[in-house]
Amino acid sequence: MFDVGALLWAIPGLPLLAAGVTACLGPNLLKRQSHWPVILGSAGSCAVSVILLFALATSPGQKPALEAPGLSDWFSIGDFQLPLTLQADSLSAVMLLAITFVGTMIAIFSSYYMAHEDGYPRYFAVMGLFLAAMTGLVLASNFLVLYAFWEGVGLCSYLLVGFWFQKPAAAAAARKAFLVTRIGDAGFILGIMILWQRYGSFDYSVVFQRASANPHGLELPCLLLFCGAIGKSAQFPLHVWLPDAMEGPTPASALIHAATMVTAGVYLLARCAHLFALTPTTQLVVSCVGGFTALLAALIALTQHDLKRVLAYSTVSQLGFMFLGLGAGLRDNGLAVFAASAAIFHLFTHAFFKALLFMTAGSIMNSMGHVIDMRRFGGLRRVLPVTHWTFLCGALALAGLAPFAGFWSKDQILEAVLHAGHQSEAYGTIYMGLFAVALFTAGLTAFYTFRAYFRTFWGAERIPEEAYHHGHGHDTEDHGSSKHRFETTLAQKFPLVVLAIGAVVIGAILGAPHWINALLARSTAFVFAKSSPEFHVNWWLVIGSTVCASAGIGLAAWMYLIKPALADKLAAAAPSLHRASTQRFYFDELYTFAVVKPLAVFALVMRFFDSIVDGIVDLVGMFPRWFARFLRTVQDGLVQSYTLIMLVFLTAFLAIFVLWTR
Amino acid sequence: MMPLANYLVLGAVLFVLGAIGFLTRRNLIIMFLCAELMLQGVTINLVAFARQHGNMTGQVFTLFILTVAACEAALALALILMLYRRRKSLDVSLWQDLREPGLDSSVDADAPLEEPLPESLPKLTPAGLEPDQTPEDTYV
Repeated sequence: MFDVGALLWAIPGLPLLAAGVTACLGPNLLKRQSHWPVILGSAGSCAVSVILLFALATSPGQKPALEAPGLSDWFSIGDFQLPLTLQADSLSAVMLLAITFVGTMIAIFSSYYMAHEDGYPRYFAVMGLFLAAMTGLVLASNFLVLYAFWEGVGLCSYLLVGFWFQKPAAAAAARKAFLVTRIGDAGFILGIMILWQRYGSFDYSVVFQRASANPHGLELPCLLLFCGAIGKSAQFPLHVWLPDAMEGPTPASALIHAATMVTAGVYLLARCAHLFALTPTTQLVVSCVGGFTALLAALIALTQHDLKRVLAYSTVSQLGFMFLGLGAGLRDNGLAVFAASAAIFHLFTHAFFKALLFMTAGSIMNSMGHVIDMRRFGGLRRVLPVTHWTFLCGALALAGLAPFAGFWSKDQILEAVLHAGHQSEAYGTIYMGLFAVALFTAGLTAFYTFRAYFRTFWGAERIPEEAYHHGHGHDTEDHGSSKHRFETTLAQKFPLVVLAIGAVVIGAILGAPHWINALLARSTAFVFAKSSPEFHVNWWLVIGSTVCASAGIGLAAWMYLIKPALADKLAAAAPSLHRASTQRFYFDELYTFAVVKPLAVFALVMRFFDSIVDGIVDLVGMFPRWFARFLRTVQDGLVQSYTLIMLVFLTAFLAIFVLWTR
Repeated sequence: MMPLANYLVLGAVLFVLGAIGFLTRRNLIIMFLCAELMLQGVTINLVAFARQHGNMTGQVFTLFILTVAACEAALALALILMLYRRRKSLDVSLWQDLREPGLDSSVDADAPLEEPLPESLPKLTPAGLEPDQTPEDTYV
């Protein structure tokens, strides 16, 4: 068999090449065909990822890993050298498959969604760059390369959130996304530096090995690494940027802010499961933050009217679920492996169904003339049949109803938390509490997902005016008639259908036989495990979570389908709670008051101080200018005056010379 | 034989006359002639000292200076011609472009001393056939 290792370079290389081609040729040559390089590049990447996954799955080794030959050192300082190598194990391969497959689908969908936008080539160039950075992040074999790609995806996120940079809201959202994640990144780089200082290496395997030998005081670097994950994956208290990031184009939200980039934090913690398993306290923090975020975001999502924001908060909530699962890996035994693999499995299925939900939201948004407020449309199931059915598939997967994808992965996370509750002596009750929270949140998830579903697709048919005016070359004659067709192109429907099929079957295929857990358990990230995980189905848990999900769906159907007035009554019954939820629990206001305003005042003071310093410097600079005002009159451009000066000084010089040397 | 001082005084007088002329006149050609006058004042000095010391050094120098002055005259007159074509005047005060920015150009209140030259330039006597001349748009 040929060397798959060398192929690793193609995975980030193809999208990067596509980005370069699009950036160079797009504006002048490709124009409205600019999507082809990225679609082909990511499809090629996806093909290589599939080959890679098969090579790893069929590899006979205990912990198979492939290493790409290093091109050169990234840099070397003295004796220290940092090689630029790529490395893939089953954890990377699963991530790569999700990124490149979903990326390809979203690239195809983007060609529909962005078809009438200016900056079409720019969009696809950044998208290619993002895919390159994201795959590079997953393939990195040491912390510094990981960090470099980590920042790369942050940059692409900034560029895509601010794609419509003429819009002040989009520019502000892009800045907010970048700055808030930066707070986490500062912690992340500190964590990497502490690990380096303590263990003398950036390489994963070396750090993990030395950490096992000397695990004392590992809490601080682990918490700092988690800090980076909090920022990137929008966990409490840094979750505020993700909902605002919905100002970007919807396919970009689907790719970056639902399926891939925001899961980088989950990947980081799964990759560092070795370190985290050594510090149960940190794991408890991870679980608590995850559980709290999941609940908080779900509560906010209950009352949002903007469909994309509902999905954004649901993303935050689901990421919280993943962290909750990751934190359940308390000991260096099979449980840690099971917990991490459950989180990655949830990441995998979430990438499919959440990207699908976002793309259906994009399809609705484009059809409704960029209206996304659920109060303004309804009953769209006949107008947008394909979108309706695919949204339903995604919603069922997100709600976690068997046998859809989300059910299997969410169930595994709950099971991992339950195991942690049983196994931990010190924190057992806390984990049981988190389990209850998670179960409750699962019910909430089903409720708000189906609230959005019923409000969008059921009830009386309402289509906003903009839908007919927002021209895609439609005739205005069919205004108001049901003949107006909203679903026309294949690029709109094909990715939706493919991902819907994925959202329906992928969990059952991979999760029911625990095939993905067995695959992930062979990752080199889990060499520490002293025993391999055992898989069994906890029927009580299955029944419990199904009941929760069904209750949520049923409640949503009752409140929004059968008795629509009930929701208003409920909101009127508890106005303060309702207001707190619609106002997102005042986190933005709190941060504005506690952080932004004091910083602005501080900046004002500094500006005043700077003006004083500047004034003094300018004053010094004034003297030569003032002096020169006299001297410059000498140079008046007239030959005679130059001659006169020359003669006067020559005479004076000669006179002195003659008289003194006498 | 006249004493050396007479020659030196003559040279000095020529030099100072030239310097005064150079400083006070604005006509480019007259300024050039004044510069030549200063040069000749110097050469008289050289010849006088050569005579005094009884060697040829000063005279050789003088011949050399005369040669250089001839070349210089050719160049300078050509330059003056070009300058004239640009401004249609020989007034040197029209050429103050290299002064400091922001300074006013110094202009005499008096009327220009010389009459403006006629528009058409003096031409050389044609030898043989007159070449076809296309009028130049610009002389830059």
